[in-house]
Amino acid sequence: MTFACLPVASPRWIGRDVIRKEDRALLTGQTRFIDDIVLPNMLHGAILRSPFPHARISSIDTSEAEALPGVIAAVTGRDALAWSSPARSAPEGWGVHCIATDMVRFVGEPVAAVAAVSRAVAEDALERIAVEYEPLAPVTDPFAAIEQGGPLVIEDKGTNVMLQRELTWGEVDVAFAAAAHVFTETFRWHRVGANPTETFGTVCQWDPGTLELIVHGSIQSPASVALGRAATFGIPSNKVNVKSQAHGGSFGGKGGARGIDIASMLSRKAGGRPVKWIEDRTEYLVAGGGQAWDRHYEASIAVDADGRVTALAVTLVDDLGATGEGFGALGAAKPLAAFTGPYTIGAARYDLTLVATNKTPAFPYRGMGPPPHFFVLEQMMDIAARALAIDPAEFRRANFIPSDQFPYTIPSGNEYDSGSYAEVLDAALDLADYPELRREQTAARQQGRLVGIGVVSTIEPGVFDWNAYAILGMTQTGVPEGATVSIDILGAITVRVGFSLEGQGQYTVVSQLVADYFAVDMDAVRVVQLDTQSAPPSFGPGGSRLGVAITAAVLGACRRVADKMLPVAAGLLSVPVDDVELWDGAFVVKDRRSAGLSVAQVAGTMLARSDLLPAGVDPLPEATFVWTAPGRTQADDQGRAKSYLTAAQAVHVVMVEIDPETGVVEIIKYCLADDCGTRLNPATVDGQTDGSLAQGIGAALFEEYLYDEQGQPLVATLADYLIPTINEIPATSKVAVVTPSPFTPLGAKGCGEGAIHTTPAAVMCAVNDALAPLGVLLREVPATPQRVWTLIRETA
Amino acid sequence: MTGGWPVRLRVNGATCDALVEPRTTLADLLRTELGLTGTHVGCEHGVCGVCTVVVDGEAARSCLMLAVQADGAEVITVEGLTGADGSLHPIQEAFAQEHGLQCGFCTPGILMAVHALLAEDPGAGEDEIRDVLGGQLCRCTGYHSILRSALRAAAGVRAAATEGTT
Amino acid sequence: MVEERAVKPAPFDYAAPASVGEAVALLDDPDRDSTVLAGGQSLLPMLNMRLARPDLVVDIGRIPDIAGISERDGALVFGTMATKGAVERSALVRRRQPLLHAATQLVGHPQIRNRGTVGGSMAQADPVAEYPAVAVATDAWMHTVGPRGERTIRASEFFVTYLTTALEQGELLVEVGVPALPEGTGWAFTELSRRHGDFAMAGTAVTVRLDADACFSDVRIVVFGVGPVPTRMATAEEILRGYRPDTDLYRRAGDAVRDAIDDPLADIHASGEYRRHLAGVLTERGIADAVARATPQIEGS
Repeated sequence: MTFACLPVASPRWIGRDVIRKEDRALLTGQTRFIDDIVLPNMLHGAILRSPFPHARISSIDTSEAEALPGVIAAVTGRDALAWSSPARSAPEGWGVHCIATDMVRFVGEPVAAVAAVSRAVAEDALERIAVEYEPLAPVTDPFAAIEQGGPLVIEDKGTNVMLQRELTWGEVDVAFAAAAHVFTETFRWHRVGANPTETFGTVCQWDPGTLELIVHGSIQSPASVALGRAATFGIPSNKVNVKSQAHGGSFGGKGGARGIDIASMLSRKAGGRPVKWIEDRTEYLVAGGGQAWDRHYEASIAVDADGRVTALAVTLVDDLGATGEGFGALGAAKPLAAFTGPYTIGAARYDLTLVATNKTPAFPYRGMGPPPHFFVLEQMMDIAARALAIDPAEFRRANFIPSDQFPYTIPSGNEYDSGSYAEVLDAALDLADYPELRREQTAARQQGRLVGIGVVSTIEPGVFDWNAYAILGMTQTGVPEGATVSIDILGAITVRVGFSLEGQGQYTVVSQLVADYFAVDMDAVRVVQLDTQSAPPSFGPGGSRLGVAITAAVLGACRRVADKMLPVAAGLLSVPVDDVELWDGAFVVKDRRSAGLSVAQVAGTMLARSDLLPAGVDPLPEATFVWTAPGRTQADDQGRAKSYLTAAQAVHVVMVEIDPETGVVEIIKYCLADDCGTRLNPATVDGQTDGSLAQGIGAALFEEYLYDEQGQPLVATLADYLIPTINEIPATSKVAVVTPSPFTPLGAKGCGEGAIHTTPAAVMCAVNDALAPLGVLLREVPATPQRVWTLIRETA
Repeated sequence: MTGGWPVRLRVNGATCDALVEPRTTLADLLRTELGLTGTHVGCEHGVCGVCTVVVDGEAARSCLMLAVQADGAEVITVEGLTGADGSLHPIQEAFAQEHGLQCGFCTPGILMAVHALLAEDPGAGEDEIRDVLGGQLCRCTGYHSILRSALRAAAGVRAAATEGTT
Repeated sequence: MVEERAVKPAPFDYAAPASVGEAVALLDDPDRDSTVLAGGQSLLPMLNMRLARPDLVVDIGRIPDIAGISERDGALVFGTMATKGAVERSALVRRRQPLLHAATQLVGHPQIRNRGTVGGSMAQADPVAEYPAVAVATDAWMHTVGPRGERTIRASEFFVTYLTTALEQGELLVEVGVPALPEGTGWAFTELSRRHGDFAMAGTAVTVRLDADACFSDVRIVVFGVGPVPTRMATAEEILRGYRPDTDLYRRAGDAVRDAIDDPLADIHASGEYRRHLAGVLTERGIADAVARATPQIEGS
């Protein structure tokens, strides 16, 4: 693999499977996660939470709790009112204070907190806090919430509808009217969410005198968190410093703002002593950042006489829970970036209603919204294919965007950079030996067995931009990502970034890149994480940004450093600066490519031999580069914009068998082909695919958050929320197709969210293919044994 | 955290004394009293397996043991796998080679569960390994790289035993 | 309610008695609410979440000689502290009580089995647990020591209702006897759980004996996970007795099991109706598997 942007004859690191630099520390237990942080005089926080989904707080008394030996401070809604503003939210204006002030709106909402010498004592103290509630009727059904006259979640808003938009792209009504066939169906996708093995945690120090705030935490986007705290507490943004620890996964759903704000207030109350708050698993499940995608869909597709899908209409009612603080609404907007999937569907409509109910606020989760959308779209493709007696793989092929039409702008406005969709389909079908699977299915059906096959294709938008969320009122465009590359007097290279480790091998990929740029060993490159006060602008790897944004920032910084060194090298070589270049780790005269000067020699000269430097040269072998995706546009009034920069594509082929007596779905075979452009570290990409696929299987078959009609959460432990174990994840066969992105420096596309976009669709299509002979359709996810059995029983 | 109950146990070969409350779990003793933060906590209700250590030769969830129950016990944590000279144990090496980790939070628990299995049953095959891994949750990897790592670790442990270097 | 849970236990006193008598004396104190700590796999989560708040935790793990596995008078005898891991590894158990061996392998994961105990499981009396079902199916007995002396309680009387046994205040379960499976008996332990190692949504423990004419002679069908305690399904057993194995018969037995279930358990993983249905399915499958393992016997041997 060669890259024009890397000044080496053949890269030694990029594109290869290398051992990750992070691994030694992780394997030996040396990596410091947030709960490993111990600061002098540190206290431990615990949070008292509402038992009611909707209630007025009549009174609250923490005096007995504060009198318990070992308890140093307590905070309630009074403190939140005095010291903070309601949280930022999406949509704007749907946030509340971090501790309930007069009203609680979901079970688990914080009503008070204490800081004590240990977590155990803090929990002892919580039991001594007296709270009087006046329970109010909750609203738990989003359709009831939309109706006027029922309970309001946030009274001042006068409605429970956070947002209602109907977006129309192209001649939708014309397409439906002219269609040879129209198919319509409804679907229900239950709440699922991130559930990393490490919950959220933070250690906060808020100086009561200077109001400077230091936040340590298990934080995916430190810069966003820093800005959020500044806004919430009304302190200058340069008085907040966020230091993120390596974290045990996040997948978007780590949450944390309330915890940080509460721990900060406890710290301020405790005279500035650091306060650690570690979210426990029940807190995470009931009231943390782990709930997303609580959705009710209606979808229609218009199909012409040739089997071409001409229009797609999707109506979504998204139950976002009690507030918009989790930014779960972004997940309802992101589908715009790939609304019509890999297909040439020319017109589309999105009727979107975001609703508040007395449930936990929804947060992001890997994929950020498209996974349920693609489940719906792929079900509709299968429904049409079945009705028209067309093989589902061929039905999709006939509707794919052809390879010669990229970059391709979809009706909802985003542009797909590149793709070879038919090639990926063929690769997957070959890998699966698709004709043989259909033969096996036929034989099984003759025995009365319920065997099904799903062939699905989805798009993974990569490298997010804020304009994707314009319909929620976001006006920002551009997500800057910065990196600093610095070479010291001895030629040692350090890269400074603003994000922490979270599992994607970030520091390894950065090291691979810089090592190839300067032709050194990977281990010679040091990656250092800076806190938000020191770091260049950074969003971090969230939104599948590692392969593009971060690498582009690092590459840009490398180029700037090399450019600064050129005039010095030219001076030393006594040639014009235009005749010098960096090549294979040395500054050489172009075209001769003979012995030149090492990077260390030039850097050493810059820092120690001012007498040898040409006049006016910047003597620092260090540069910062901030990258943001080029060519992004402001959204129009229908939300159309060039948002996500890249579009990866995948095809999954899945075979399942359903036990009709128990409803258990067993995955018999799983094959996939995916195209995410250049693979900077193939093992990392495979790892992301495997993990994302496991989450997809969890979402399809095992995971859901349920509430009863009174708004009480029924999921509170990991015995309730069923994260798949090794026994539930089938082995998969994978094949990679590489269609580089024309828009990114190395041709990579964002790929970390990957398989979760596709797996639920694939499994559910296979399930419904298995059920097809019975004439039933399972429209609810997850496909639990009880749901499947109940459906089958109705046919008897 | 200090309480009135004295406990004495051996951790990674060293004798440790501590005073705990009866309600202190072994996980908290290891992490807080003894500063061995390599053992992580994921749920504190015994499902995820992240807190797994080896107690008297058997893998056990340290969040489901009281520290007082470990009085007199021989405990091994992930810190005890690494050589005194910083060299990686064959199990750790196998996981690095096979990319058996991403965020690494669940990794120490898995390493200890695999270590306990291989110490008791050096001939452990895929079935036995799967049985043990079934009690360890991971959210990042999808498990198959972990399985490959454990199989490689088993081979590595057997090889080291043959060479007499374990 | 959910919000009352914590992750660090409420304070409690702790005692680690050195003998059964000492343990009984501690447990018999009317002024202190005490609980037994055996393997801790059920108790610790409850303590951590503050769902259990005893004044005193009595750790019986230091009492010598109550963890043995042996055979006595045709029964396997387990000290209360014998771990499920030890049971799983026991060649004696695999040979003499394959039903118990099979059930053991379905309990959680090896890491749980390393600590969880035979006695602890019986005393916990969780309706969805495997060991109480085996106890009822095999006519096991529980030997206890209490303030009023020792007694033996048959499994059929030991499990009273959800999480409740016949143990009285101060009474400690010290030994569990499980009759060995007679030669030629077919057996099957079948359960359905959401993930491997999870608690069952429903399950059956079935043993069958076939006479010299290959007809069912002795049949035991125990259903668990559906009611408050594991239950012998007498009507279903009657349908089989005296007849030759036949899948129609199994189906009727399964239907009889469903008819006998009145008020099934329900939770978010499985409704009552679904559990009732599963009980029937797992009865049929259990009978078929047990028959496959049975060898016809001359009556009385």
